[in-house]
Amino acid sequence: MAMHFIFSDEVVLLFDFWSVHSPAGMALSVLVVLLLAVLYEGIKVGKARLLHQALTSLSISTSQQLIEETDQHSSSSDSPQVSRTHLRWFLCHFGQSLLHVAQVVIGYFMMLAVMSYNTWIFFGVVLGSGVGYYLAYPLLSMT
Amino acid sequence: MGHFHHVGMSMGMSSGDDNSTMAPSHHHPTSSASHSHDHMMMMMPMTFYFGFKKVELLFSGLVINTAGEMAGAFVAVFLLAMFYEGLKIAREGLLRKSQVSIRYNSMPVPGPNGTILMETHKTVGQQMLSFPHLLQTVLHIIQVVISYFLMLIFMTYNGYLCIAVAAGAGMGYFLFSWKKAVVVDITEHCH
Repeated sequence: MAMHFIFSDEVVLLFDFWSVHSPAGMALSVLVVLLLAVLYEGIKVGKARLLHQALTSLSISTSQQLIEETDQHSSSSDSPQVSRTHLRWFLCHFGQSLLHVAQVVIGYFMMLAVMSYNTWIFFGVVLGSGVGYYLAYPLLSMT
Repeated sequence: MGHFHHVGMSMGMSSGDDNSTMAPSHHHPTSSASHSHDHMMMMMPMTFYFGFKKVELLFSGLVINTAGEMAGAFVAVFLLAMFYEGLKIAREGLLRKSQVSIRYNSMPVPGPNGTILMETHKTVGQQMLSFPHLLQTVLHIIQVVISYFLMLIFMTYNGYLCIAVAAGAGMGYFLFSWKKAVVVDITEHCH
């Protein structure tokens, strides 16, 4: 394994079937790696937005429960509502965990792609991270 | 990087043989990708593989040879990834709890009608030699070391170990971030 960056049209990336021999194949691989990096940044922003949405909806539903509880003074009517909120929170958190697994895996794939020491792939990763950050981070403060 | 090379070379042709028993047709892309160092391309695997024979893990004495040892390594790596996620969230909680030292600086500034207004500046922080900051530093060092270990484990390209890292991270995030989200909900009701 060469321990320095090289410009080359030949590389094997991550899997045995992903072997590149030609400039066209290299261009396609760089594009795929770029989109992977964009997806990584998007997942980061998506996780934060999902958490924010879940917390706002959870606080709204708990405050509604408190209002109804003080109005009706009955503890038997809000137990299905509590369990429904818990179920919603559980599903939302499970979805976030799946997003986290995807983020970890894609992050490691990008590290391994850079480890191929191919300069074109490295440019693809860096450019994809930049484009992904540029597109995704404004959405973070849009809520 | 020289140490990585040494690990790669001691794995040597044995992992190459293992790959050849699993997938005999897959050697050609790797050997054609190199220009002048053909014999060195099979040292460290550069593609994902599933195997449990002669898998070197991080340290020179730690070699996996049987399925039982691979299962043990899977569980250990899973727990390490879970511990890493928990450590991250524990550090966040500790940081939030220790940042209760708020200093207010009040300064008189001239107002619009000649009155004097008091402008208050709030600074939140830690002192350098305080115990919370030292604890954060020690935990940070542990977190950096574990994150590099996880990266090196993923770099073995062994499919079982990579799945263990990903699953452990997911499970750790699920278990520990649940508690964190509840805490955030209670303490910051101005969301």
